[in-house]
Amino acid sequence: YQVQSAVTDRKQIVFTGHSLGGSIAILATLWFLEKFFKSDSKIPPLCLTFGCPLTGNRIFSHALGRENWASYFIHFVMRYDIVPRLLLAPIPSIEQEFESILQFFAAKSTNESAGGVPEEASDFHMIVMRNAASVATHAACNLMGSTNMLLETVTSFIALSPYKPFGTYIFCTGNGKLVVLRNPDAVLQLLFYSSQLGSEREVAEIPCLSLHQHFGYESELQESLEMQDVVDLKQLETLPLSAEVTGGDSATINSALNDLGLSTRARLCLRAAGVLEKRKQGNKRNIDAKEKDIHNAMNELETSYRAYCKLRKVGCYDAFKLQKNRQDFDANLKRLTLTGIWDEIIDMLKRYELPDDFEGQRAWVELGTRYRRLVEPLDIANYYRHLKNEDTGPYATKGRPKRFRYTQRWREHAEKMPAESSGESHFWAEVEELQAKTGNGEGFEEVKERVLKLERNIQKWVNGGEVEKDVLLEESTLVKWWKTLPQHHKLESCISGLIKN
Amino acid sequence: MNRSDSPLFSSGLELGSFVVTSNVLHHSWAAISELYGEIHEPPSWASPVRFRTFQQPNCTIIAFVTWPPCTKEHLQGQGGGDLVSSSALKETFPLFEFLSTKTNPRFSINKPAIDLFASVRGVLDFLKSQISTKPLIIAGHFVGGSVASLFTLWLLDKINLATTKRPLCITFGSPLVGDDGLQEAILQYPAWNSCFLHVVSDRDPVPRVLISPHNIPSAPQSASASPTKEYKPFGTFLLCSQLGCACLENPESVLELLMANYSEGPGNQVLEFFDYKNIVQQLKGNVICKDSTAVLDEWIAQPLQAGIITQLAAIGLGRPQQQLQQQSIDMNKLITKTQEQEREWLFRRREAYDSKVLNEMKVNMAQLEWYKKFSEDEKIGYYDMFKNPYVSRNNTVERFKKSLTCYWIDMVDEKEKMPQRKGAAFATRFLFSGTNYRRMVEPLDIAEYYRDGETDYIAKGRTKHYKLLKQWLDEDESSASRPNNPKKQNLKGGLTEDSCFWAYVEEALISVNALSNGQYSSNDMDKHKRSLIQFDDYVWGMLKNYAVSPEIFLEKSSFMKWWKEYSEIIRKGIMGPSHTSPFTEFMQNRQYGQYAPGCM
Repeated sequence: YQVQSAVTDRKQIVFTGHSLGGSIAILATLWFLEKFFKSDSKIPPLCLTFGCPLTGNRIFSHALGRENWASYFIHFVMRYDIVPRLLLAPIPSIEQEFESILQFFAAKSTNESAGGVPEEASDFHMIVMRNAASVATHAACNLMGSTNMLLETVTSFIALSPYKPFGTYIFCTGNGKLVVLRNPDAVLQLLFYSSQLGSEREVAEIPCLSLHQHFGYESELQESLEMQDVVDLKQLETLPLSAEVTGGDSATINSALNDLGLSTRARLCLRAAGVLEKRKQGNKRNIDAKEKDIHNAMNELETSYRAYCKLRKVGCYDAFKLQKNRQDFDANLKRLTLTGIWDEIIDMLKRYELPDDFEGQRAWVELGTRYRRLVEPLDIANYYRHLKNEDTGPYATKGRPKRFRYTQRWREHAEKMPAESSGESHFWAEVEELQAKTGNGEGFEEVKERVLKLERNIQKWVNGGEVEKDVLLEESTLVKWWKTLPQHHKLESCISGLIKN
Repeated sequence: MNRSDSPLFSSGLELGSFVVTSNVLHHSWAAISELYGEIHEPPSWASPVRFRTFQQPNCTIIAFVTWPPCTKEHLQGQGGGDLVSSSALKETFPLFEFLSTKTNPRFSINKPAIDLFASVRGVLDFLKSQISTKPLIIAGHFVGGSVASLFTLWLLDKINLATTKRPLCITFGSPLVGDDGLQEAILQYPAWNSCFLHVVSDRDPVPRVLISPHNIPSAPQSASASPTKEYKPFGTFLLCSQLGCACLENPESVLELLMANYSEGPGNQVLEFFDYKNIVQQLKGNVICKDSTAVLDEWIAQPLQAGIITQLAAIGLGRPQQQLQQQSIDMNKLITKTQEQEREWLFRRREAYDSKVLNEMKVNMAQLEWYKKFSEDEKIGYYDMFKNPYVSRNNTVERFKKSLTCYWIDMVDEKEKMPQRKGAAFATRFLFSGTNYRRMVEPLDIAEYYRDGETDYIAKGRTKHYKLLKQWLDEDESSASRPNNPKKQNLKGGLTEDSCFWAYVEEALISVNALSNGQYSSNDMDKHKRSLIQFDDYVWGMLKNYAVSPEIFLEKSSFMKWWKEYSEIIRKGIMGPSHTSPFTEFMQNRQYGQYAPGCM
């Protein structure tokens, strides 16, 4: 309807909303991105929110980072506005007071001069801020690389809000200045620290302000528009730590930080967020530098090992499982080299030590898929050769390394495939498992469904070129096993044609 | 920029605030006050230790206090600072023996504390039964805190940390409990150390009474003659002042700052009930307020240094005022020192497990596997290949073997250092790779041993790490419960299950030689005969289970060499007239030609 026509007219669409309307605007923007932006429209949307409550958790934030969509979202937040901080408190903790606060908001939004601040405001503010403090300090400990495991021990005693910011935040200092921040970790810290009380004397004043400011965006931004005083906080890792810095660029930044009331302690937290971001970039550079090693090792396997197997008239899987010749051993070494590099990458991903967009990068998705198709069969061969299925369990459920699980998900995500549908690299494991179950022509009926599914997949993958044809050679484990299956089954099997040729 | 050269931060303030906002302090102190409120009731028993379990909606609290409270004199006076050593405890009160490990065998605990704990010994199991799946807080005030610490320690041995959430012990104003031995026993497991949180006010003298002046690391180490006589902290300390609080884990800084931030005031000389209620309340209020205590010089740009300065300020060691008041403390020096201690501490704690090394070991194992394969092609078996000193390839193999052995000796050492219960939780995957290593590499060690002309490997030559790896595999429940399929289709990696197989072969060879030479007393001869029959049985047992690699039947193997000589002496009748066994029949009929797993 309207959106479609705007897309046709090649206009940029701006979604916007205040308060909870902001959350709706965010979801609408996401809908647009998924539906139009990925395919037809190349004009990016813009989402502007004002005093919007947090809308997603860490995964949400990470996913937007991976798609490089975070930059389309801009959130305006008043220094004391309680609403953007609200969800840093778990709902049960604020339930009691929330009702009257909502009534106040409802009255206020229909009638400017309506009613006074409810008396619960002060308790409400306190609870929200304390919970925000929990979330922020917990996150800060992790940002700072705390080694004290007391952090974990204590965490089991409380419920921490799962919400996490994403996108660009613009903080309104209250005197017309605007402070821009993009790092989500830093935004979380700033959400808490900027609304701290200056002293306990402000206890009476701030709770009222925290409610009123939710309706102050219009006048505040009007003022900002006239002042045009915007400070963009970029190099967080070099932020001035002392409130008394004078001279140069850092003086401007410093005065912005002072306007938000940031103590040395708060500044340290922002710095820690900056340092982590920088470290992620550094890690990415290190990993990118290894791309060449990956390529070399894979080329080696792809050309010389394949050629050698072809010469011997066996599939790579079977040759590798037998480990008969020097070439097989060399291939094993190549496999281990690759294992080392990929495990390092996955380790970093698990620790969130790589930038959010890493997993979405085309080059890496493709490299991951190629790696998976080429090397996972060798890993499986090794697994069953060493009979690890006897002590660890079936490969697919117990033994499959994360380096293959992750790379499979990358592809499935990038190509919008259903989850678990790109399993072409580990069909050998299923062959091995089924072979163990149908030894001596028995037990076929019990696993019939699995056999049929496997056959359908193999047909699809071989025809689609996702699986090499060498799996169908006469001496392959697959063919040898298939031939032991009952005659009546083989006659109707969808891969009988493939195997005969 | 990677982890090692990225700037360091110190998160003591953040962790402190996090602890405060989590409300664990509040709940614990509330439980303690309630317990004190019941004190007027007559004690149900003679012990001065009072305790009670509080079931809260989201946690269980076990609180300990003592009544009447001990006085400062009690702690400092006659015998108050006495330590009981672990060896003495072993006889009278053996609940803490699990803390003794090979590398750290001795520790000592404050005598009054252990006496109090011993007085509640009878109810320990009852208290343990009170624990549900809810997270557990063990709280204690004053000397009651020492009891709480000991109770927690006892509990750590009883519960499985892999499946249970860690308990949290919170003490308020408690004196130190043990010496450096106890400290080390707890500190070497960050998970254990993370179960202790000691809250200390800057005005409370009690936590400081057992710290002797020469204990402070800054003092000249003249007292090092009797280091075990000193009390040392463990766990995390939450140091508080009216300005704020900070968490410290580094024990050296804890000792130093405990003394440095102590502000003696009127009234706290005489030690009585030191109430933490207001402190907890105030900390809670402070959390949402801006922290403006630290005045930072403009030139300070290092986050670690800035972090330390803000922390010191929060615990009452702000620079400007303090320097005027207490000339004895040089703040600049204190900052620099604390900063260095923190830096070192962070580095030590970050040394983590390295997946790169693990991968390198996999490569080494692959190399050995290849060597084994190559040897079989030469019809000799890798055991005998390695035994031959003239094979040039062995030098390279030696290198792989050495690096694997170093790695596994370290690993086994590491595991062995753990107290028994933790050691038992040896990851299964790890155990399997250990076993694989043992089966692959130990034969090479045996080859080396007998090549050098030594004898009796099992008793004299076998290194500890092999023995332990084997022992752990035997103890591992999962392998014991696994059905032992007698008709195994395959052998794991083609390796003989008993890694000492070749040592038995060598001994059998010695026996055979002795018998064919016949130069020994009949007593000795009998002994050799017996051991040959034993070996005969042993091999047959292994063959039946396919537990031995077919490579032993290779032409040039030591085993076949033994068999030739053995069948010779049987022929000569040395083993007795018409000696026969299933094994000898198997060999004589050359059935081993068909010996491949699953064919018998």
